[in-house]
Amino acid sequence: MGMQAEKLEPLKVEAEKTNLLSELKRRKKALLFNKVMIWSLLAFLVVWSWIGTNFSLSFLYTGITNITVFIFTNLLPPDFSAIPRYINPALQTLYMSYVGMVISVVLSLFFGVMAAKNTSFHPALAFASRSVITFIRAVPAIIIGMIFVVALGLGPLAGTLALGIGGVGILGKAFADILEEIDKGQVEAIRATGASWFQIMGQGVWPQFKTGFVAWSLYKMDLNIREAAVLGIIGAGGIGYTLQGNINLFQYKQASVGILMIFALILIVEFTTAKIREKIL
Amino acid sequence: MSHIRNYKENQTKIIIGLLAFFFFVFSLFKIGIIDERILQAFSRAEHLVKGMFPPTLDEPIDIFGAAIQSLQVAVMGTFWGVIFSIALAVFAAKNLSPHISISYLVKGFAAFVRAVPALIWAILFIIAVGLGPTPGILALAVNSIGMLLKVYAEAIEEIDHGVIDAMRATGASKFQVIMQGIIPSIMTIFISWSVFRFDINLRYAAVLGVVGAGGIGWELVRASRVMAYDQVLGVTLVIFGMILAAEMITRYLQKRTDLVNVRASQ
Amino acid sequence: MSEVMLETKNVSMVFPDGTEALKNINIKIHRGELVSIIGPSGAGKSTFMRSLNLLNVPTSGEIVFEGENVTKAKGKQLRHIRRRIGMIFQHFNLIKRSPTYQNVLHGRLGYMPSLKGGFGRFSEEDTEEALAILERVGLGQQAFKRADELSGGQQQRVGIARAIAQSPSLILADEPIASLDPSSSENVMNYLKKVCQEDGITSIVNLHQVDFAKQFADRIIGIKAGEVVFDGKPKELTDGIINHLYYDKITV
Repeated sequence: MGMQAEKLEPLKVEAEKTNLLSELKRRKKALLFNKVMIWSLLAFLVVWSWIGTNFSLSFLYTGITNITVFIFTNLLPPDFSAIPRYINPALQTLYMSYVGMVISVVLSLFFGVMAAKNTSFHPALAFASRSVITFIRAVPAIIIGMIFVVALGLGPLAGTLALGIGGVGILGKAFADILEEIDKGQVEAIRATGASWFQIMGQGVWPQFKTGFVAWSLYKMDLNIREAAVLGIIGAGGIGYTLQGNINLFQYKQASVGILMIFALILIVEFTTAKIREKIL
Repeated sequence: MSHIRNYKENQTKIIIGLLAFFFFVFSLFKIGIIDERILQAFSRAEHLVKGMFPPTLDEPIDIFGAAIQSLQVAVMGTFWGVIFSIALAVFAAKNLSPHISISYLVKGFAAFVRAVPALIWAILFIIAVGLGPTPGILALAVNSIGMLLKVYAEAIEEIDHGVIDAMRATGASKFQVIMQGIIPSIMTIFISWSVFRFDINLRYAAVLGVVGAGGIGWELVRASRVMAYDQVLGVTLVIFGMILAAEMITRYLQKRTDLVNVRASQ
Repeated sequence: MSEVMLETKNVSMVFPDGTEALKNINIKIHRGELVSIIGPSGAGKSTFMRSLNLLNVPTSGEIVFEGENVTKAKGKQLRHIRRRIGMIFQHFNLIKRSPTYQNVLHGRLGYMPSLKGGFGRFSEEDTEEALAILERVGLGQQAFKRADELSGGQQQRVGIARAIAQSPSLILADEPIASLDPSSSENVMNYLKKVCQEDGITSIVNLHQVDFAKQFADRIIGIKAGEVVFDGKPKELTDGIINHLYYDKITV
């Protein structure tokens, strides 16, 4: 018996060792297959796009040198006498972003609450709301803007509504996701007291929802100011319109004032939203 | 004491709320949203919606060619953005940068590039290198660098120094420390941000045509100029489909990879 | 007494801010010993240990390991010294996202050509050996799991396995159990002592806990404010000395 045990022991260890090794090889093979598949897919995409866009490495060089030369000889120095012409459009961009944000928040509250499984009235309604949000999210704001320009004519109204509706793609999803993650226990406790839907929302849901709500809404403001700055290019109001005008007339030194204004606008808004976030949260 | 603080905090919140409200009303007037146009809009919208249905792709024959070009522009823009961001992130990350001032310089460059919207980069590149897909690729690459450079550098800065020590202590060479220690630690963050950036770039690529940088956006501009609303909707749906399909494919690949990894580790 | 494998001669370390972390440390470590270094936090235990494989470069003095001058070593020579010295860390310092066996294989990097190791082309013998080492520390079942999926005690055993994979003649363990609960601590120390005895590896272990040092070490060195204040057998470590080491503000 003793002899047998002595002989069996090392055998077993040996078997386990080869087992682990073959197991390792098997697993590595599975990983390798996935890796090779993904990397070759990526490589194919790059090569295909490279050829499809007639790209050439020399474009990188000419692109970088040309843009540098352009920035330093044509854009700089900025012609600061153009500032007065940019002030009103810059303010308009700010108003558009802000109203756009408020509209998105209101619409997103509606779609978000309807889309979140735990606050929606019916699963079908939740699915429909999610679909609307997904659709909006996949259509860039500037395209929505073009449609509104057609519907409402040129001007900030089209841009504002584009921002407002386009924002549902981001905010609606964010709100719905936050709502779905809230703690059920607290809501149940309030429901148990016989509270109405609005009471449950106010007392059980809102306290948990508040932080994410404020953070995402302010973030949307940051995004809006960037989008509003370019909406003018399609005639939807704001600073982009003036900028495009300067560029079309080859007034690059004035255009650079516009770019600097956009730059300043973005920084100011980001600074302000950061301060408000600090104060409120 | 806490009463007073609470009171003060509430007061600030009320003030912010009031300011926000007044600014909203003020902005409404400034934009001119309170306008008879908003009433007319309903009839115009009716006309528009009627014109949109059924959506069509009849006239622009090569709509799919344009969509593919947008996709290719997004791929190339992301590709070069990622390459340059990786190369520059080494100089931007404080723990790898040859000198701290170089790190600040590179990060400042990224912040500047990030603050100029992608479409404006596209306009500038069109002036600098002419029309076609190239300015689009360059604009997306530059705009991607603004974002990726920042997050890559932060990922590198967050590497646990102890991990590098441990690798050095085994007698590993610098190259081995980077390949076996640093890269596996940051790979997931790199990949998820790059994929995220591709999603963003695809959206931009779809609208670059608006400023003349080719792709499907141009078809949209053309259709809306001739007031072919059925085509506008048709092109919009193609863009929607393209973006959604790309998102689903990347999500599928990510999920699949996660699954394979989990299976291999059990 | 057996052969001296590691000797420090007047090793001193001054940090850029002027702090004297180590003051003229002279120690001889003999082959096969399990030496524990104890002392209050901030005494310089970790700095001393990290200077032995030049993770920290001492300001002055000399370190001789198996006849080679560590302090003068550079590049390839330093890497060849380091691969014979395994190191274990308080926070394990594993590559969290890499699988366990891969972390053990990292111990082989010092023996491989730079490129081959960099691309992770580990030989079949090395892989087999790494898996066997994992079995030895009782982690055969965890070989394919990601390092961060393991418990603290298990991660530290991977740390031990990585050090063993280097086929070292010396192991440095820098506070190996300071972030573990008492029962994992005991378990990790047992494994460490076991593998060192089986493979005839000399080891130096920084410990915060005096009782663990007394239980496991053949010899204890007490460091206080960068100086060696005790060097002897565990049983020679009296309460008076411990008191002096940890609580007295005045150095004798």
